[in-house]
Order: sequence, then C-alpha cells, then structure tokens
Amino acid sequence: MAVRGVDPDEEKKSYGTVFFVGSILLVVVGLWSVFDDNITRRVWKVHQAEFTRTDYERAAAALAKEQERLNADPKYAELVKQRAAEVASLESGEKGARLAELRELQQRVEVEYFDADQEVKFVKSELDEAWYEFDHAVQLGQDAGPYRRHIQGLQAQQRALEPALEAARKKRVDVKAEIREIQGGVRKIDDQIYALEGDKRKWQRQMDNATVTVGPEGFPQFTLYKVPSIQQVVLKDFDRNNFDQQVERVDRCQSCHIGINRSGFDDLPQPLTTHPKRTVFLSDAAHPPRVFGCTVCHEGQGEAVNSLAQAHGNVKFWEHPLLEGNDVQANCVTCHLNVAGLEGAQVVARGQQIFEQVGCTGCHLVEGYGDIPKVGPSLRRVQAKLDPAWMVQWIQNPREFRSRTRMPHFYFEEGDAVAAASYLWAASKKEAEEWLKQSPMPEGYRPDDAAVVEKGKELARSVGCLGCHGLSEGEFTTRIAGKDLVPNLKDIAAKVGPRWIYHWLRNPKAYNPDTRMPSLRLSDDEALALTAYLMTLGTKPEPNAEVVARLEEPANIARGETVVRKYGCAGCHDIPGMEKESRIGVELTTFGSKPLEELFFGNDTSIKHTWKDWTFNKIHNPRVYATERVEQLMPHFDLPEEDIKALRVLLHGFVERKVPEAFKADHSERARQILEGRRQIQEYNCVGCHVIDGEGGYVRKYYEENPTLAPPPLNGQGEKVQANWMFGFLQNPENPIRPWLKVRMPTFGFDGPHADVFVNYFAALSEVEIPYVHVDEAKVPAGYLEAGRTLFSDDYFECGSCHVRGDKKPDGPVEDWAPDLNLARQRLNPDWIEKWILDPQKLQPGTKMPSFYPGGPEDILGGDEKKQIEALTDYIMALGLQPATAAKAEGEAAEPGKEGVEEANKQG
Amino acid sequence: MNRRFSSLVVPALIVTVTLALGAYQGAVAAGGNISGAVMFKGDVPAPKKLKVTKDKKRCDKSPKFDESLVVKDGKLANVVVYIADVKGGKKLEKKGVTLDQNGCVYQPHVLAVDAGADVTILNPDKVLHNIHTYSKINKPMNRAQPKFKKKLKVKFDKPEIMEVRCDVHGWMGGWIFVAGNPYYSVTGEDGAFSLTDLPAGKYQVQIWHEKLGTQTKEVEVKDGETAKLDVEFAG
Ligand SMILES: [Cu+2]
Repeated sequence: MAVRGVDPDEEKKSYGTVFFVGSILLVVVGLWSVFDDNITRRVWKVHQAEFTRTDYERAAAALAKEQERLNADPKYAELVKQRAAEVASLESGEKGARLAELRELQQRVEVEYFDADQEVKFVKSELDEAWYEFDHAVQLGQDAGPYRRHIQGLQAQQRALEPALEAARKKRVDVKAEIREIQGGVRKIDDQIYALEGDKRKWQRQMDNATVTVGPEGFPQFTLYKVPSIQQVVLKDFDRNNFDQQVERVDRCQSCHIGINRSGFDDLPQPLTTHPKRTVFLSDAAHPPRVFGCTVCHEGQGEAVNSLAQAHGNVKFWEHPLLEGNDVQANCVTCHLNVAGLEGAQVVARGQQIFEQVGCTGCHLVEGYGDIPKVGPSLRRVQAKLDPAWMVQWIQNPREFRSRTRMPHFYFEEGDAVAAASYLWAASKKEAEEWLKQSPMPEGYRPDDAAVVEKGKELARSVGCLGCHGLSEGEFTTRIAGKDLVPNLKDIAAKVGPRWIYHWLRNPKAYNPDTRMPSLRLSDDEALALTAYLMTLGTKPEPNAEVVARLEEPANIARGETVVRKYGCAGCHDIPGMEKESRIGVELTTFGSKPLEELFFGNDTSIKHTWKDWTFNKIHNPRVYATERVEQLMPHFDLPEEDIKALRVLLHGFVERKVPEAFKADHSERARQILEGRRQIQEYNCVGCHVIDGEGGYVRKYYEENPTLAPPPLNGQGEKVQANWMFGFLQNPENPIRPWLKVRMPTFGFDGPHADVFVNYFAALSEVEIPYVHVDEAKVPAGYLEAGRTLFSDDYFECGSCHVRGDKKPDGPVEDWAPDLNLARQRLNPDWIEKWILDPQKLQPGTKMPSFYPGGPEDILGGDEKKQIEALTDYIMALGLQPATAAKAEGEAAEPGKEGVEEANKQG
Repeated sequence: MNRRFSSLVVPALIVTVTLALGAYQGAVAAGGNISGAVMFKGDVPAPKKLKVTKDKKRCDKSPKFDESLVVKDGKLANVVVYIADVKGGKKLEKKGVTLDQNGCVYQPHVLAVDAGADVTILNPDKVLHNIHTYSKINKPMNRAQPKFKKKLKVKFDKPEIMEVRCDVHGWMGGWIFVAGNPYYSVTGEDGAFSLTDLPAGKYQVQIWHEKLGTQTKEVEVKDGETAKLDVEFAG
C-alpha cells in the first residue's frame, strides 16, 4: 500500500547529475569568489607587492654598491684585515693559549662561585626560618632564648662563609675582565667597522622591512616579500555624522600609495611615487601621513579600496571627490588660520586676498569674512563730489573710465543707470549741502599759475601720493588681480572739481569719517598747489543742466531706489537710507560642498556639469546661467583666468567642517593677531609704502636712485620698537623719525583699537611679547655710560656725524642724515639696538648704517666688544632722557650727548 | 699582480698630470700680448668740482674733482680692460693692493684687485668713513672705518665690478674691479693698457668704463706677437 504523499517513482529517481553539476558550479563559484575577493577587488595588493619588490630590489642593489664601495675603501679593507689577524691571534699563539686557559678557568670559577653562593643562600633561608620561629615565640610569650641562640649560630655560619663567596666573586670578575681585555682588540676594530657601515645597515634594514622570514626556528627558514596588508589611519573624531556627532574617519589611501612618505621613489608612477615636496608637506611638523592620512587634504573616499574610482571618490553621491594639483590648497583654510605666507598655499592665499579685496564680501556672507569693511567709497555726500554726467557713465560702465577699477560692470541699461544715479544724487543731497556750506571754494586758488601747478606736481610725486595712487596711465603701486586697489588719478578732473579735491586733501575725514584716505598734513599752500596740479589731469566737464534735470525727476529717483536695492550697491558703498540693507548674494560659507543638483546651469549646454566648471564660468561670466525666467544679478568683475582659478580654490575650501583641535594648525591668539593685522594692512594699503613681512614697499620703485629716501621697510618692527611708542606714533605721526624725508608718514587718524591691531600684529610677527621697555639706569654697570659716551663721541665712532640728536643736526646734506637718537629711549627696544649695532646689514640689507663690529677699539672696556655694544646701547637709551627743550638751551656747549649721561647719572 | 700594478701607476699618473698642469698654469712658454689705448671722442666737459659738505676741516684740504670721466689729450683714464674667460695661462698672483681715502677721496678711483687678494684700506683722515660696496655677486659689505682704525683689510672672492661709496661723505665714490684672472689692465692718463703672456687664441676683450659702459672686442693672439687694440668711446 502506497504511503500517502509519497510517490514511489520519485524514490527511484537519480539526482546524481544534478548534484554533480551543482557541485561543479559550487566549486567554480567558490574559486571565482576567492579570486574576485583576493585579486579583482584587491588592486592595492598588486600595487603594494610591486612597491615591496622595488623597495627590496633597490635596497639590495644599493647594498651591493655600498659593499663594493666599502671594499674599495682602503681604510675599510685594512680594518677587515686587522680584524682577521686579531681573531687569528686569539686562536693560536700566546694570546690564544691564554684565552683557552682563561675560558677553562672561567668554567671552574663559575662552578666555584655557584657553590659558594648556594651555600650562603641555604644558610640565609635557614636564618629566615629561625627568625620566624623567634618572632612566633616572642608573640606567644614563650621563651625565645633558644631561638635567639640558633639565630646567632646561623649568623656566625654566614659570616664564616662570606669571605669564600667574596673571593669566588672576585675571581669570576677578574677572569671575565681579562677575557674582555684580550678580546678588546677585536672589539675596537669592530667599533670602527660599525662606524663605516652606517649606510650598509640602512640598506639592510630596508631589505629586512620589505621581507618576512617564515618557518620555525631551527629548521630551514624562508625569506619572502612582505604580504600586502591594508594600511589604515584612523582620525579620531575628525568627521561628523548627520546628527552632528563626532565620528572617526578612516583613511586607507596608503594601502596603494605606500611609498608616499618614502624618499627616493619620485621616479615611480602613481600610486607608488613619493609625495612632491615631501619634506615640506609630510614632515612631522606639517602633516605626517601616519597621523593625518591623505584625505584631510586630498579628499576622496578614504575607506574605499576596491577600485580607483571608488577610492578617489569619483562616484555618484560622494560629495568630496579627490582634489588634485592646486585644488588641494582649498583644504589649507580648513585647518590654517593664516594661509598668507604659508608654503605650498600660494594659490589659496591669493584667492583669499582677491576675495577680501575685490569686494566679494559686499554681497556674500562667509563665516570668518563678515567683518571686512565695505570696499567702495562712501556715497553719503556724493552730490558734493561728482560730476553728474560722469556719475551716470560710471554706473553704466566703470571700466570705460578706469580699466583697472574694482567697481564691477552691472550691464545696466541707460535708464537704470540714470535712475541709480538719481537716487544717489537725491539721497546724498542733504548731507552734501551741509558739507558744502562748511567747505567753501578756497581763496588763493590759482590753477592758471604754471609755477603753482609745477609745485603741485612736485608735491604729488614726493609727498607720498604715489604710495597709493597712480598719476598717469599704467602707474600704480598696489594691484591685485589686475585691479588698482586705489584709484589712478590720471583723469581725476573729469570726475571731481577743485573745491572738493582741496577739502578732501586737507581733511579727508571731514567728508567721510570712515575713509581710509589719510591726511598728509598739507599746508594751505601745498593743498592749493596739489589741487591745481590734479585739475590738470583729465578733461574738465561742462556743467550739464540737462543731466541734473533728469537726475532730479521723481520717477527716476523712485526707480533708482529699486535698482540700488536690487543690485545691492550698499554692499560696497555707504548710502544714506540703506544702512540696514543686508547682503544680497547667497551665503557662501558651505559653497564648496554644494552638490551638483543645487547648481543651476540654466540653458547653457556647453558647460560641463561639474562644480568646478560651474564656479569658473559663474565668475568669468556671471550672467551665463540666466534664462528668460531666471534673472541673475551678479556683476562682472573682469578677473584674469588665473585669478578666477585661485578664487575657485578658496571657494572650494568653503565647507562646513569642524576640525578637532588636535588636527588644527596654529589658532593661537598670535595667529589671530596676525590675521587681523594683515587685513588692516591691506585695508590701509600700508604695503604701498612699507615692506612688511617681506612684502610690499611698492613705492620703492620710484626711489631706485636713492633708496634711503623711500619710506622705511618695517621688517622685524615688532622686535625693533617699543609698543608704547608705536601705539602713539600710529595715532599721531606728526613728529617723524626721519625729518629729512620728503615723503610723509600720513595721519590715518587711527583710534586706539586700530593702533592696537597694528602693534599686536608686529609683535606677533616678530614673536615677541609686546615689549614694554623699562630702562633702569641704576642697573647700568659702572662706567658703561661713560664708555658709551666715549665710543659715541667724535673721538671714536662719530655717531653724530650722521645721526640727529634732537635739535643737534649733523653737518652735510639732509639726505645723508640718520634717525634721531634722542627718540631711541621712547622708541627702540634696547635688545634690538644691540643686534643692530652688531650687524646692521643682517637686519636691513643695504642700509647706510655701517657695521663697526668686529673692530671695536682696544682701549675701551678692555677691548671687550660685547661690553662695548652694551655700553653704547645703554648710552643711547639714556640720550633721550634729556627733554628736547633743555638740549636746546644747553646748546652746543655740552659734549655731544653728555647732557644725557649727566641726567642719567643724576637719576641713578 | 694586476691590481698592485694599477695601484702604483694611478697615483704616479695623477702626480705627473698635476705637475704638468701646474707648470702650464704657472708660466706661458710661448704667448702673445694685447696692447693699445682707449680714446675718447667728443666734447669733454670741464671737470666738475666736488662740493665738500661736511667734515670740511679734514676733507677740504685740496680741491676735489668728479672723476667719472677723466680725459687728457683724447685719452680716457679709469678704463678697465680685461678678458673674462681665459683657459690656462698665468696664475692669479693675489697680490695685495691699497685703497687710500686720504683727503676723503678714493685713490685710485678705479681699483683693480685679484679675487681673494687683500685690499688694505687706509684712513689717514682722522674722520669716520664707511666702505659700502654695491656688489651683486660678492656679499655686499658696509664696514665702518672710524678714525682710530687707520688700516682695514678686506677681501673679495668673486670677479665683479662694483661701486664703492662712503655714506658719511656723499661725494666719495669709486669702483673696485675684482679680477678672476691676471689678464686685466686699468688705463691711466695716457689711456694705455697691455695684457701680456696670453696663450694663443681668440679672445673677447671687455673694455669697461663706469659712465660709458662696456665694449667687447674680439682679438686674436698669436705666439710671440703683440696684437694691437685701440678702442674709442664716444661722448
Ligand atoms: Cu668718508
């Protein structure tokens, strides 16, 4: 009877074929999966194996070469020979016999020592036991006497044994020492050979590192290449997940890029090659790859190792694909506060400079760039300043008037340009009229007097205008990204009239309290002459009632308000009624990680859909993505392609990333002070005149004939001058250090906080604590002031031959004079004076100050030059003690500088 | 055997070659000369008197004239005639020379010195001078020479023509020609120069004047002969 549900035929069926085929498939799939897992998806193993092999082979070749070199080295060969001879002498002859004897003796002595030691040890343990018994008896209140006696007996035994042990120990030491002495010859030679074999050992180590030895000890062993393994760096808390929790980042790039931090593999192809400028970028002081990995700078998908595309993050939805070439610099700003001057960060530093100075921050907010002042001039009283027709033309196309202006081109149609001008004209009317009331046309203005114009021209070229302004086509001092940071005045008469210029020159802050234009402390005559000269630059406009009428039309004013607001003019200019306007552009704080989907490419199909292409083209041609439906407002800056790329590198680095402190570069107070100072220096264009931190001093090109008449370079200023002095001088530079210079340090009218920024900047740059100098004359060693005075005097160094001392001026033409040393006490840091006297050329190459040392006189302070320099410094610091007025009264009667000394002595 | 042989031969060879080279460098067995004069054509301005603006007591003892263009009977002085590149020939003697500042003026106005030789700078003026070289190849030097330092010794290691000025006395200016080989000559009032014992060959002769610039002339030198070279500068 058939069982229910069971098919008897089925039972008889054979599944052999199916199982056979199945098992074959299983084997094949199994093999394939092993292959895939170990070969196809493990490209890094191939790379690593190749590198290991190359590494080993190169080391082996180098070792062979080194060995050859050693063999050819007669010193080495001699040593090897000596060693062989020495070894041979130990095996035979007198020494050999003695050595064999000693070795035998050593064995005996060892046994003797062991036995003696053992005996003592036994007694000691018996003593331990006896002490225990004794203590036990005492604790139980029993009679401890017998135990005590037992102890004493044992102690006597130990004492009796000890001399023998001591003798055995000594014998043992003696034998050892003698053996060592006999072998000393070999050891000495070995040491010398060791010293010569440093390179050999290095190659050997390299070979060892590339190999592993397998097989149990005592059996034949095999040396194989090291088995490739994942090279992984874990950066703790480096990343943040979607819940803003810190998570670690895993970086396995070095599994393929195994030679990245090894010198000498520059010739290998990627991924095995050495990192370019390895010693700069990968040093322990910079970014050691074992700590930082690679993705911190280069991005990519650090965990991925299966394929090149995956590892480099060139796959869909990976937001940070590999950065190559200059683009890597984008990431410098994530960890470095200051990229200016940072080696290898030149491109991003340039991008940053452009970003800060061309006006980007007027419309775009970026964290960390929020405080940058508006780059355009104030339009608060613009009606009092500009020619109306000029204004309309300027708004319509600024580069037509000044090809290198920072003001961008908005592609306004004429109606909009007129409207914008009308609004600005109307909005500034009230304040302009007030200003005009207080600023009448000056009397004595003689624009037709050729001598006056000539004097004005002389002044314009000498008093300091050239530090910032160009006066003719192509003349400039500070330029960035092809832009003049300060207007070129070659056509100034077409733009403004003499009345405005005159008052602007006399007191720029009266027209605009926030202007960066300083006062040159011009006298009335000087200002008039300068005005007359400037009015010869360009064509004066005719009064144009028609334009004024158009500007005053209410419809235009109303339309203008909309235009000015829409295009965000207030981002760069101070405009009455628009003080509260916010930035009209998109915030760019995280622009670098903006996904492609969020970038609008408009209808242009010629532009590749990548972040880089989008960004480049947006800056290159800001309206390129506009469509009939989508309006675009960004104006055209006309930047050179190279600079657009630099800007793009900076933008690429605008990503939201909270890097843990451990990975950040210097974010100290000092770094912050440098950043702040650098920005303020840019704003006021200090580098137009002064060399600061090795850059700038652009005005010096006008002084090639006589560089000593140029504004002084300020390298190392923080170390040189006293903070108090600089703080005061910056706020009021009326008493110049070098009164003979025609070029004047202008009065910028810095307030305390502004002056502080500079003082801190220079101190931070020189890595000095703000040097508040206190000189205590009481602490000057006896005789130093007198010695200093003698050295200073006309009998020795004749310092007064060039240096001014208050009212005491040197002979000869002023251009040969040197700074007033009566100011030194207030101004200079004594440590700096010492360094300066010791080697002036080192601190300021090319200076007129000669070096007196070495070469001091024999008869002062015993010819000790160090003491002489100290004495001179003490004396110079004491010079300033005498108030200038008193020096005048005493006049020439006193010995040069004597008054200071006397004063100092009185104080001391 | 072979090895021992070579170990003897190689040093011997080196010694021989060195000796031979030394002899070759030291003296020119058969050489030629170049000689001639430097002329100036054009109007010669009257020598400008230098104004002594300070330290008059010490410096204004005798009248001083601008020496940047010294011409006498059409002959140009203070011209350096030299050959920058000579293979072989005489050795540089490195003989010491003296630069005198007596009366606050450089004497000679154009000083020629062998590279590496001692230059003794004299200060008999009882006044502070400083020696400031405007060099581009040698390390620029600005050394004070106070009155108590009557002698100062300096050295210049690399061939160069450099200006030297005193910053204390604006009028004091001169030139130092640092020679890389012994084939040079500085013209005096007669404008004459001669370069002697040159190995035979073709040379680019440089004729330098501080104001009139440098001329280059190609001259062929034959053994035992004196090639004539007259140079003219136009004002
Ligand atoms: Cu002098």
